Amino acid sequence: MTFQLLFAAEAGKLYIANAIWYLLCFAILLIAVKHYAWGPVSEMLAKRQQRIVEDLDTAAENRKKAEMLANEREAALKRSRQDAMKVLSDANVTAQRTSETIVSEANNQASTIRQQAKADASQAKADALSSARDEVADISVAIAEKVIAKNLSADDQKALVDQFIKGLSD
Amino acid sequence: MEKPIVFKLFGLPFDLVGILGSTLIALAVFLLCKWLAAKVELRPNKRQNVIEYLLEFTDNIVNTNVADKDARKHLSLYAFVLFLFILFMNQLGLFLELKVGDNMLLKSPTADPVTTMTFAMMTLLLSFTFGVQKFGTRGYLQNYARPVALLLPINLIEELTNFLTLSLRLYGNIFAGEVLLTLIGNQLAPSLGIPTLIIAAPLAIVWQGFSVFIGSIQAYVFVTLSMVYIGKKVAKE
Repeated sequence: MTFQLLFAAEAGKLYIANAIWYLLCFAILLIAVKHYAWGPVSEMLAKRQQRIVEDLDTAAENRKKAEMLANEREAALKRSRQDAMKVLSDANVTAQRTSETIVSEANNQASTIRQQAKADASQAKADALSSARDEVADISVAIAEKVIAKNLSADDQKALVDQFIKGLSD
Repeated sequence: MEKPIVFKLFGLPFDLVGILGSTLIALAVFLLCKWLAAKVELRPNKRQNVIEYLLEFTDNIVNTNVADKDARKHLSLYAFVLFLFILFMNQLGLFLELKVGDNMLLKSPTADPVTTMTFAMMTLLLSFTFGVQKFGTRGYLQNYARPVALLLPINLIEELTNFLTLSLRLYGNIFAGEVLLTLIGNQLAPSLGIPTLIIAAPLAIVWQGFSVFIGSIQAYVFVTLSMVYIGKKVAKE
């Protein structure tokens, strides 16, 4: 091995042997950088890319799920609103019907009561009239007995009074 | 022209400038990457954001130029390291130029055609490898005669020109930048005493800023073209 410094060598001359050193230098640098910097960094880049893709996928899935849930909720809300509306209208209808039946029943009752009252009144009138007739007959009989002191049979008296009253009402 | 420091190892002459520079930059790139990726979490922290941005930047270059999915994963690492390595090597000579006496000790390694040719050759060999892996040796060789057999010589020449343009573009840009910077600093500044010194200072600053821009663009161009060449080899025509 010869190792000697050749000072004052010619300028402008090419030293081809340097290429060996450059190649060696570059190869070592390549391996070192791959091990310490390029490898970890590019691995992390790939990992991050995969992570981002996964995150985007899950986000899209979640959004779809949320959308579905919202739709479901909205449909349920709509359905319950419809149910409530139906219940309300049903209640309205039944209330109407009940009120109608109550009113008609009351009307019926009122009219029967009125009829009863009318019948009662006419009955009472008839009763009063007949009892008054009897009484008047009796009184007039008594009066007539007293006046004419003549004993007539009650039936005769009555016929007499009837005739009299008939004459009155005509 | 500065004189390089040369030593012989196994009978081969090595240029110490390139070796020192590339080793330094390799160490710097490695330490930077290790520091940035010290704590890798699912929720990225500040440092992780920086390295992820860089990785996405180079991945973007790969993905727009290489359609083949299998090749992408391997090329992602290659593009990432290549971009950082070349970018930092381009910037090295701008703020740090060490000289011991008349001998250069430290400058941009990419201002030396051997460096750029090494990386261009690496890309070329990688493109062969990916092409053979995808189509098999037979299919790969047949691809040279596509779309028509008439293009065979042009396709063969293209390999050489690709290699040359890829390497010499980078070398030319960085070398010219350093030459101009040296000219401004060493020739223009002391030429007429204080007046030229005053003119040279802002000029040097402006040119340095521009060189940073050029160095970044060239690193991007180098990686992009590498990916284009490799992508072409793994694509079915």
